[in-house]
Amino acid sequence: MKERTITFAAYLLFFAVVFALPLALNSFWTNRIAVYLVYAICAVGISLSWGYAGILSLGQGLFFGIGAYMIAMSLTLAVPDNNPVPQFMLLNMEPNALRDLCCVTPGSFLWEPFRYLSIGILAGIVVPCVIAAALGYVMFKRRTSGVYVSIITLALALIGQMLIINNQPLTGGFNGLADLAPLSVGGVEFDPYGKSVYYLVAAVLLIVVLLSRLVVSTRLGHVLKAVREDDSRVRYLGYNVESYKLFIYCLSAAVAGVAGLLFAVTSEFASPSLMSTSFSISMVIWAALGGRGSLLGACVGALIVNFIGSVASENAALQPVWPIVLGLMFVLVVLVMPEGIAGIAKSWVAKPRQPRSLKEVTQ
Amino acid sequence: METFVIGLSIASILFIVALGLAIVYGTMKVINLAHGEMVMIGAYVTVLASKHLGLSIYSCLPLAFLVAALFGLAIEVLVVRPLYGRLLDTLLATWGIALILQQLIRIHFGFALFGIQIDGLGSDLQNVPVPAELQQTLHVLGTNIPVYRTFVFGVAVVLGLVSWWLIYKTRFGSQLRAVSAARNITAACGVNDKRINALAFAYGSGLAGIAGVLVSGFKTVSPDMGAPYVIDAFLVVVAGGVGHLLGTVLSAGILGEVQSFVATWSNDVYGRTVLFAVVILILLFKPQGLFVSRNR
Repeated sequence: MKERTITFAAYLLFFAVVFALPLALNSFWTNRIAVYLVYAICAVGISLSWGYAGILSLGQGLFFGIGAYMIAMSLTLAVPDNNPVPQFMLLNMEPNALRDLCCVTPGSFLWEPFRYLSIGILAGIVVPCVIAAALGYVMFKRRTSGVYVSIITLALALIGQMLIINNQPLTGGFNGLADLAPLSVGGVEFDPYGKSVYYLVAAVLLIVVLLSRLVVSTRLGHVLKAVREDDSRVRYLGYNVESYKLFIYCLSAAVAGVAGLLFAVTSEFASPSLMSTSFSISMVIWAALGGRGSLLGACVGALIVNFIGSVASENAALQPVWPIVLGLMFVLVVLVMPEGIAGIAKSWVAKPRQPRSLKEVTQ
Repeated sequence: METFVIGLSIASILFIVALGLAIVYGTMKVINLAHGEMVMIGAYVTVLASKHLGLSIYSCLPLAFLVAALFGLAIEVLVVRPLYGRLLDTLLATWGIALILQQLIRIHFGFALFGIQIDGLGSDLQNVPVPAELQQTLHVLGTNIPVYRTFVFGVAVVLGLVSWWLIYKTRFGSQLRAVSAARNITAACGVNDKRINALAFAYGSGLAGIAGVLVSGFKTVSPDMGAPYVIDAFLVVVAGGVGHLLGTVLSAGILGEVQSFVATWSNDVYGRTVLFAVVILILLFKPQGLFVSRNR
């Protein structure tokens, strides 16, 4: 009971700080921290699939990137200069092609639905979910597990990144989509450097964390933890392990998609680098440092790593060393503190009673 | 025909890298995400050795093997060994090592921090001089066959035979196979399984180092060149069936040719996309890989 109260207090403290922070920040840091909170949402997604169900996806960047691209398409079309067709398409079109989204470049008609922001937002959540469902169905049906899942997801993200870079006339290629219009919903404009976007991100983070917490505290969550420990045993107990895995994998993909949406809103761009291997694996280390088995820990981990990372990359002396520090972090977190910051905090709070010595027992 | 030869050389590189990965994965069920960096190290050994020592690409082959093997040994003992049984964690830790190794090359092993630059290191692209006799082109049956590509193929064949001999004909090999089939029982029989692990890891890394030398002959060398190899190689291992030398040979051959033919027909990106699709299909219909190991 006591541990529960402390956990609750930790969540309360975290979100109190998150919501109070903008009062003390200038617009630059408001934007930076908003981006880190977006990363925290990603880390929650990782914690769901990896921490709770033992599915280590190294391709979360794919879902994150798709989320970002979907809303970025809508926000690109929202810029007046990009009507009737986005600027970059004009550079890639055939000389005599019709200047209309239907046929300016091959495949540009795919952009047509994204004239509606609501479709962009919806697609940013649904598309990652559908891809995760298709891939997950194939993988889990075949009882692929462990490192195989990790490598397959990793490879898929790599393919996604290459396809986007390669289809320049459709996707903007290597440069991605930049100079996006600010998000505006129902007359309210969200300024990326203002408090409005910050609170939007913080509110979404709160909702995602609460929902995830709800999911993992139900029976479903317990089954997932059991799957993580020993999936054949759970299968023998009569559970359909595959559908549980599929559910949590899709959920974490959707969470990554949501994070991607918010990333495009906060950073005003979407680029293929969001799908890179290193970014996908970085997400995992955020969750690992914070504590893979703890949703709050994952959030804290994402904030800490990215904060240090951006401080280091602005310092000329630290910048070349930062990747090495990051690499060492991977090694040391895994070797020394596998349960992350949350694990350490937990062991402080709940000091196990000293086991009685053999002498005491025999006496 | 030319496409076939190019495919054969892609397959050869893929085979050498995958063979190393397969030995490590087969023995310890560990995936070394820094395996691609062993390829990178092999390539940089060639760059440095040819720039500073004037060594030719031939003498770089054993040198790169040694250097990469030593790195592999160090990684095994320091990082992989404490993580036995925690496979996903090993994945993360070895990725961290990959990051460190890449950055060490970029900052000239750290000397750049003190303003010292070493020729051949840094984030720039590097090229390796290829001996004249390897730059020629053979004309066989009306097609042009670059000698270098056949050289790569030849090295792959030799390494394949050596590895076959090592795995199936030596005492180390039988211990290695025993450890991968039943670790505990083998250890109980008095085989030092930790030693076998370390040696297997070093040998696998060394093979990747040799692949790096070969790659440096026809591709530019850069700190982040290694990353794609580990994924391709793992796909080869998975498709061929774990613990099966012939499976690795054939699946490297098939995947290399598929990639080469699709790449000439459209472009490199679709080459890799198709490669990935083929592997997914193989996993779907033959989850054990094309060639099921009959070790047990």
